[in-house]
Amino acid sequence: MRRLSTAYAPVAAVIVAVIAVLVWFLPSYYTGLLTLVGIYALVTVGLNLFMGYAGQVSLGQAAFVGIGAYTSAVLSVKLHITPWLGAIAGALAAALVAFALSFIVLRLRENLLALATLALGIVINVVFNEWDFIGGSSGFKGIPGFAIGSFVFDQRAYAILAWVLVGIGIWFAGNLVQSTYGRALIAVSAGELGAQALGVNSEGLRRQAFVLSAVYAGIAGAVYASSFTYIDPTSFGFLLSVNFVLMSVIGGLRSLWGAVIGAAIVVALGQILQTVIPLVLPGARGDFQSFFLGVILVVMLILMPRGLTSRFANGGRA
Amino acid sequence: MTAIAEPVTLTVSAVSMRFGGVQALDDVSFSARGGEVLGVMGPNGAGKTTLFNIISGVQRPTAGTVQLDEVRLTGRPVNRVAALGVTRTFQTPVMFWGLNVRESVCIALTACEFGGSYPPRADRALLPSGLGMPARRRADTALRARADALLERAGLTHMGDRPTESLAFGEERLLELTRALAVDPRVLLLDEPLSGLNPDEVGEVLRLIRGARAGGIAVLLVEHAVGELLSVADRVVVLDYGRTIAEGAPADVAANPAVIDAYIGDELE
Amino acid sequence: MAALWQYVLGGVVDGAIFALVAAGFVLIYQVTGIINLAQGEFVMIGGMTAAALTTGGMPVVAAAAIAVVVAAAVGGLTYVLAIRPARGATPLTLLFITLGVDVALRGLALFVWGTNPYSLPPFSSGSAIHVFGGAMPPQSLWVLGTDALVFAALYVFFRHTKMGTAVRAAVANPPIASTFGIPLRTFAFGSFVVAAAIGGLGGVVVTPIPGVEYDAGLTYGLAGFVAAVLGGIDSLPGALLGGFTLGIVEHVAAGLLSPGWDQGIGFFILLLVLVIRPQGLLGRAARRA
Repeated sequence: MRRLSTAYAPVAAVIVAVIAVLVWFLPSYYTGLLTLVGIYALVTVGLNLFMGYAGQVSLGQAAFVGIGAYTSAVLSVKLHITPWLGAIAGALAAALVAFALSFIVLRLRENLLALATLALGIVINVVFNEWDFIGGSSGFKGIPGFAIGSFVFDQRAYAILAWVLVGIGIWFAGNLVQSTYGRALIAVSAGELGAQALGVNSEGLRRQAFVLSAVYAGIAGAVYASSFTYIDPTSFGFLLSVNFVLMSVIGGLRSLWGAVIGAAIVVALGQILQTVIPLVLPGARGDFQSFFLGVILVVMLILMPRGLTSRFANGGRA
Repeated sequence: MTAIAEPVTLTVSAVSMRFGGVQALDDVSFSARGGEVLGVMGPNGAGKTTLFNIISGVQRPTAGTVQLDEVRLTGRPVNRVAALGVTRTFQTPVMFWGLNVRESVCIALTACEFGGSYPPRADRALLPSGLGMPARRRADTALRARADALLERAGLTHMGDRPTESLAFGEERLLELTRALAVDPRVLLLDEPLSGLNPDEVGEVLRLIRGARAGGIAVLLVEHAVGELLSVADRVVVLDYGRTIAEGAPADVAANPAVIDAYIGDELE
Repeated sequence: MAALWQYVLGGVVDGAIFALVAAGFVLIYQVTGIINLAQGEFVMIGGMTAAALTTGGMPVVAAAAIAVVVAAAVGGLTYVLAIRPARGATPLTLLFITLGVDVALRGLALFVWGTNPYSLPPFSSGSAIHVFGGAMPPQSLWVLGTDALVFAALYVFFRHTKMGTAVRAAVANPPIASTFGIPLRTFAFGSFVVAAAIGGLGGVVVTPIPGVEYDAGLTYGLAGFVAAVLGGIDSLPGALLGGFTLGIVEHVAAGLLSPGWDQGIGFFILLLVLVIRPQGLLGRAARRA
C-alpha cells in the first residue's frame, strides 16, 4: 500500500483513465461535480505543498484561484486569445502576484502569516469587486470555453481536462516531494534555523512553494472560469479559502493524494448534506452544511493537534 | 574529511551586543585559524551562545564585525554565512522530524555551494526536480550514497532509514554533527556538543572534532564539560559578563586566577 | 467637508462596535494566547437572538438580556467543546479551530434563523442627533454608551479587583495561577464567556441601526479583529483606539472611493500593521507566543 501511495504518476494515469470512462455513464450533474472536485483538488495539491510540506499557512488561496480565473476570462474575451493561453496567463498572473506579495507576507510566521494571507485574500477579493473593467460586482460573463480544433468542450470534456490537470499536478508535485527538493522543504518546516545553518535558502524555498501553490490555483481558476462561462467575486472569497483549508486538513496536509481525497470528501459531504438535511429536518435549508464542515474541521484539529503545520519540529527553538 | 587546501581565519573584531538594556557582549575580539580547536569558556550567561549567534548570522551585533579571511560575515543571513563555510550545531540538536537520518544528511549536501563537487542547491532545482529530469535524479541518488558514506564515518552505519523522531539523544547529537561536517565547512561552531552524552558518545564526538581539526577546519567549541574542553582545545578564550577575561593555552587559562574566580564553585582540572 | 464629517460620524458608530468586538478578541488573546476568529459570531448571535425574540413579541429588555446570556453560553460552549479538548495544540492550530467554530456557528445560525434579515426597534425614540452639522441615529448613543460601560467595567475589573489582578498575574506567569486556587483553565473559560457576552451585548445594541443577518458575524468579526490587531492585540485600550480608528477610516474610504472599499481598506491596514508594526499601535513589542 505504501508503494502505491508514492507511485504518483501511474496511479494518476489510472485515475484519469477511470474518469474518462466514467463521464460517459454519469448524468451531467455528477459530471459537473466531478469537474468541481478536480478543480478544487488541483488547488489543494498546491496548497498542501505550501502548508503541508513547506509548513506554512494560507487562508487566502481563493484569491489566487480568482486571479487565474479573471486573467484567463478577461484575456479570452477582450483580446480573443484562446483559453489555453488564458490558463497559462492566469497561472502566470497568480505566480507574479504571489511572488510580489511573498516579500511582505513570508516574513511572517504561523499566526501572523495566517492573518496576513487572510487579509490578502480579502483585499484581492475587494479588488475584483471594485474593478469595473473586469465586471465589478456583476461579475464577468461570456467566457469562451476550451476547444480543440472545432470541438468545443462540453461538460464531459471539462471533467476529463480537470482531472488530467490534477494528474499532471500530482506527477510534478510527486516528483518534488520525492526528491531532495521535497526533503529540503520538510527540513525548513521542521527546523528552519537548523536548515539555514546548513546553508539551505529557506526563504527562497518558502517563496517557491508559495508561488507554486499560486500557479496550481491559477490554472484551476482558469478552468473554472471557462467551464462555468461566468464568474463573479463571490466565487473567490474568504469562504472558499476556508474550504480549501478544510480539504487540506481532512485529506492530510502532508499528502498529495490527501488533497484529492479532501476535495472529494468536502464536495461529496456538501452534496449529501444538501439532499439529506431537508429530509431529516424539514424546513431547514440545505446550505447550512457549513455547520457540519465547521464541526468536522474542529474535530479533526482536536484529534491531530500537531498535524496542522507539520509541527513535528522541536518546539521553540528555530 | 577532505583536507582543505588553505585553512582560513575567522576574525571576530570588537563585537558588542546590547539588547533590552543588557550588554551581552562587550568589545570581544579574537581569531581562530583553520586546523585548530578554540575553546570558548565562561560561566552561564557569559555570552557564549550570543557570540555563536552573531558569528553564524542569527543575530546582528550592535557593533563590531566578523570576518572569514577578507570576507565580511556580519549582516549576512544565516544561510549565506553557512554557504560561505561557517556552520554550527545547537545546544539542543535540531532534528528534521519527517525525514529519516539519511535524508537529514542529504539536506546538508544539497545546500552548500562550498565544496563545489555537489549538485546545484535545492532551491535552484525546482524545475529539474519537479519534472523528474534524469540528471537531477542521478544527482539525488549520488547524494544518498554520499550521505551513507558520511554516516558510516560517523559511526551511524545502517541508520540511514531510521526516522529522526526515533533517535536517542546521543544519536541526535552525532547526526547533527555529521550534518554539519557534511557541508565541508571551514569553520565549525559547536554549542555544547557533549552535554547529555554517555562516555562512549563523548569519545565519538571528540574523535570527530579531532578529525575536523586534522582536516583543516577551525573548530570553535563551547562546552561546560571543562575537562574535556581543555583536553581537546589548542587555545582557549574565556568570557565573563560578555567580556574576554583570558585567552591562551589551556593550561595557562586553567591556572588563571581571574578565570577561576569567574567559575567559583566549578572545578577546573 | 460636511460630507467628510458625516463619514467620520458614521465611522464613529461602526467604530464603537468594532471596539467591542476587538475588546472580546483582546480579552481572549490576553488570557489564552488564542486568536479567536469566531468572535464576530457572538455579535451576530446576540443581535439575532434579541431580534428574533422581539419579533416574537417579547419585550426588548428581556430579549436583550436573554440574548446576552445566550451569546455568553455559546462562548462558554465553544471553549468547552472546541478549545479545551485540543490539548497541546499550537497557537496556529487553535486559530484554525476557531475558524472551524466560526464556520459552524454561521451554519447553525442559518439553520435556526434562515437567511432573512432581522431587526430591532431602536431603544429610544427620537430623531437623529445632530453633531456639528452631521447626523447620527439616536441608537448611536446606546452603542457608545455600551462601549463606555464595557470598557470602564473591564478597566475597573483588571485594575481594581482582586479577581482581575489575579487574572493579570496568572496570565503573566501561569504557574502562579495555582496559588490562587484557580486553574488557568477556568480563567480561559471565563475569558470566552465574557468575550462572548461583550460581543452579544454589542450585537444587541447595534442591530437597530443596520439590522442583522446570519452572516453579519463575518463582517463584524473580521473588522473587529483588524481593529484589535491595529490597536495592539494584547491591549484593551488598543481595542478602543483601533476600533474607532478603523471605523472612521473605513467610512471615509468608502465615502471617498466607493462603498466596496471599506473592507478592503481595513484589510489593507491589517497588512500594513502586520508587516510594519505587528504589535499594533498600543501593544507591547514582545508578544505572547
